[in-house]
Amino acid sequence: MKYIAKSIRLGAAAALLAGLPLAAQAQGVDPKLMDYKPVSGVSGSLKSIGSDTLNNLMTLWAEGFRSRYPNVQIEIEGKGSSTAPPAMVAGTAHFGPMSRPMKGAEVDEFAKKYGYKPYAIRTAVDALAVYVHKDNPIQCMTLQQVDAVFSKSRRGGEAKDLRTWGDLGMTGEWADKPISLYGRNSASGTYGYFKEVALFNGDYKDSVKEQPGSSTVVQGVASDKFAIGYSGIGYKTADVRSVPIAAKKGETCFDATAENAYSGDFPIARFLYVYVNKNPNQPLDPVRAEVVKFMLSKQGQEATVKDGYFPVTSDIASDDLKALGLTVGS
Amino acid sequence: MSATIEPLTTRSDAPTYTRSRVTALGALGEPFQWLLAGSLALGMTMIVGFLLLVLWNGVGALWPKPIHLVTFADGTRIAGEPTRVEEFRVGPERLASLDEATRRRIQVDAGYAWRTLYRTGNFDFYNDDFRWAADFEVAKVEAPVDFYFVERLEWGSFVGRIAVVEVAGERLAIDDPRAVAAHREALRRLGAIRSLEHGAIGHVNARIERERLGLRRVAIRESEASPAYAEAKALAEARIAELRAEYQRLADEVQRLKTEDQRYKVTLVEIGGKDKTLRLSEIVRFYPANGVGWLERIGIYLSRWGEFLADAPREANTEGGVWPAIFGTFAMTLLMVIVVAPFGVVTALYLREYAKQGRMVAIVRISVNNLAGVPSIVYGVFGLGFFAYTFGASIDQLFFPERLPSPTFGTGGLLWSSLTLALLTVPVVIVATEEALAAVPRSMREGSLACGASKWQTIKYIVLPRALPGIMTGLILAMARGAGEVAPLMLVGVVKLAPELPIDGVFPYLHLERSFMHLGFHIYDVGFQSRNSEAGKPMVFVTTLLLIAMIAGMNATAIVIRNRLKRRFAGSQF
Repeated sequence: MKYIAKSIRLGAAAALLAGLPLAAQAQGVDPKLMDYKPVSGVSGSLKSIGSDTLNNLMTLWAEGFRSRYPNVQIEIEGKGSSTAPPAMVAGTAHFGPMSRPMKGAEVDEFAKKYGYKPYAIRTAVDALAVYVHKDNPIQCMTLQQVDAVFSKSRRGGEAKDLRTWGDLGMTGEWADKPISLYGRNSASGTYGYFKEVALFNGDYKDSVKEQPGSSTVVQGVASDKFAIGYSGIGYKTADVRSVPIAAKKGETCFDATAENAYSGDFPIARFLYVYVNKNPNQPLDPVRAEVVKFMLSKQGQEATVKDGYFPVTSDIASDDLKALGLTVGS
Repeated sequence: MSATIEPLTTRSDAPTYTRSRVTALGALGEPFQWLLAGSLALGMTMIVGFLLLVLWNGVGALWPKPIHLVTFADGTRIAGEPTRVEEFRVGPERLASLDEATRRRIQVDAGYAWRTLYRTGNFDFYNDDFRWAADFEVAKVEAPVDFYFVERLEWGSFVGRIAVVEVAGERLAIDDPRAVAAHREALRRLGAIRSLEHGAIGHVNARIERERLGLRRVAIRESEASPAYAEAKALAEARIAELRAEYQRLADEVQRLKTEDQRYKVTLVEIGGKDKTLRLSEIVRFYPANGVGWLERIGIYLSRWGEFLADAPREANTEGGVWPAIFGTFAMTLLMVIVVAPFGVVTALYLREYAKQGRMVAIVRISVNNLAGVPSIVYGVFGLGFFAYTFGASIDQLFFPERLPSPTFGTGGLLWSSLTLALLTVPVVIVATEEALAAVPRSMREGSLACGASKWQTIKYIVLPRALPGIMTGLILAMARGAGEVAPLMLVGVVKLAPELPIDGVFPYLHLERSFMHLGFHIYDVGFQSRNSEAGKPMVFVTTLLLIAMIAGMNATAIVIRNRLKRRFAGSQF
């Protein structure tokens, strides 16, 4: 008995240590990513329309880019991933940041107008965390449980609807408390991606409180003790906890960390894309080429870390640069 | 109060039914009076409460706070600004992990304990900038004097010690006055670099761009094979070469300053011992949070306000200032008033003075009133579809073909936003103007007509001047509504980041096609879209305070003008 108590205390101390910012290693970028070297004579004005998940990141890139090229004007609009394809088809945006890949219909629409497909650049990795209030002791959820909490169709295969925290196996004051659901609005790529992966393309429950921004979801969960919500890992605050997720019942739960996102162990990780309109037979114009190079450089990926997302590796960066006909290191 | 009740008692003495007492109370109007006064009081309380909340949070947000050094029971330490304290119920798992004495202490408090949220900053080291510390985990809280709060251009604030300041190879301690002077100099140098980059170099770049577009215009008009194009091309290339040389000279100057800037460095050490060296000019402000007196605090507070009002935003709008947003809001509102005033007044004049009052006019009037009830987002959709995509795209085709496929007017911008808001507010102006016109006494019009004045002369010299205060009231209402509106603007031109102001020193000086920033949208953006909502909260309150102050200021100006007009016409009745 004494031994068990002691081991619990030891375990708790270790957990506390691991949770401390001092012990945690700050997320760094791939050292093999190239340094960004400014070139001369870049000016012009650019506009980006798309994802609000990428809104801050685009702004950070724009700020970084402008500090190197003060005469480039970059305007950023972010109202949801679904606003990117129409803006690119209409030609009003030079960049279309999206937190999900373009759908077939959207690509077709684009190809119909221009005769070629838009190029997707993988600019960051995001783990879509499931957040609960910081006092919520829940240790692990399976993807099927997440589905049964958020979805009315339960395509994941969970037998019954999960309505209270007790249904998730919690006891004490939690047992009879209903789960309060927070989510994104339907224009958001986060909404679409979560529906596809965590809901197995099922439908959301009507009781999900749809929020206009990723940060609003976190604020909602922070102020509601019995809440659960999903949002990008970049929006995590001290008032919420991200729940470790297991892909299936009986498998290990993985926390939303960079390593788990890279290895694919964390099941709801995704790439964040920036789409560009480039004719395959013509080189990308210099301003946009420099922006793309900057985003995929070491400095650009540091901005990714600054915004709370995970950076892409140098392999991904060089693949995407090559696809756009931009040579690495120039 | 007692005075009004007295008659009731005398009345009840009279041989009537007791029910009549109730009727009497109602007939006296007292309950109704109480209801009205109560509603007013409730309304006032809500407004005053709201203003006080904004004022309290907004005014205090920029005040420099102390830094606490917290040592946990297990020996780990954090340093940060205490921001918030709350009581919480300790969960059973957490309780189980605590020792006997602590557990008993919490149980005495019915299972509740207190915790403090510390703003630890140093996001580049921790990947986190806030941390909760429960009272029972904390062993010791100190307020060390050598801990600095450092505001940086990038990565947000830093909390920790400043190890050394390196000024051109010489290593100085931070409390050395020369280090402070060096910091001031570094900031001045940064200002010089920025003004060179944005001013002189920006000008050169704009001229190069103009040459390029001019050439493209010739190419579209004359075709690339024509002799006119060859001539224009030679000319443009010569000019561009000249400008490039100018650019190079300026760029060299900037480079020289930047190299100089590299020699001024500062090394920061956080509590865990990790250090980071950055350029001295990357530090906006630093102060030993526990070692500053009241006067210095006030100085820091004022300088933060100065930065907030006059600087451009940094770090995805969570830091720095809101100057572009202030400017954008002001410019848009002004433009809106310029558009809406003549439109509204002319419409109302026709409706009231010239149109034959009949079914048609009644229908128009009802339509105008109904327009005021249309949700504002509908106006936004209309503005985007009609102004930007239809009207603006045609302008681009006709006047800016050389810039296509990049749209000039074919996308949201300042002009389209102002026009959309003008549409939104025109019913307010029409209704107010009509009322004002109707309030001009008939005797005055008739007098004027009897003196031989024509109808237009009567309107111009008699009716309009007297209706002016009423029209101004309408404009004030329109302005207040327009400046506070955000939803439609998100569709027609307000963006998260547009550091270029719509007015600058580059020809044609006023850029109506540019997207702009808006205080209302800024509040939405920082509050609901920023990465760390906790860090954004103070900014939201400060910006709200600013927006309210701005609208109040604009309204006050208009009211002063109105009162002056009223006074001018007071007592000038026939």
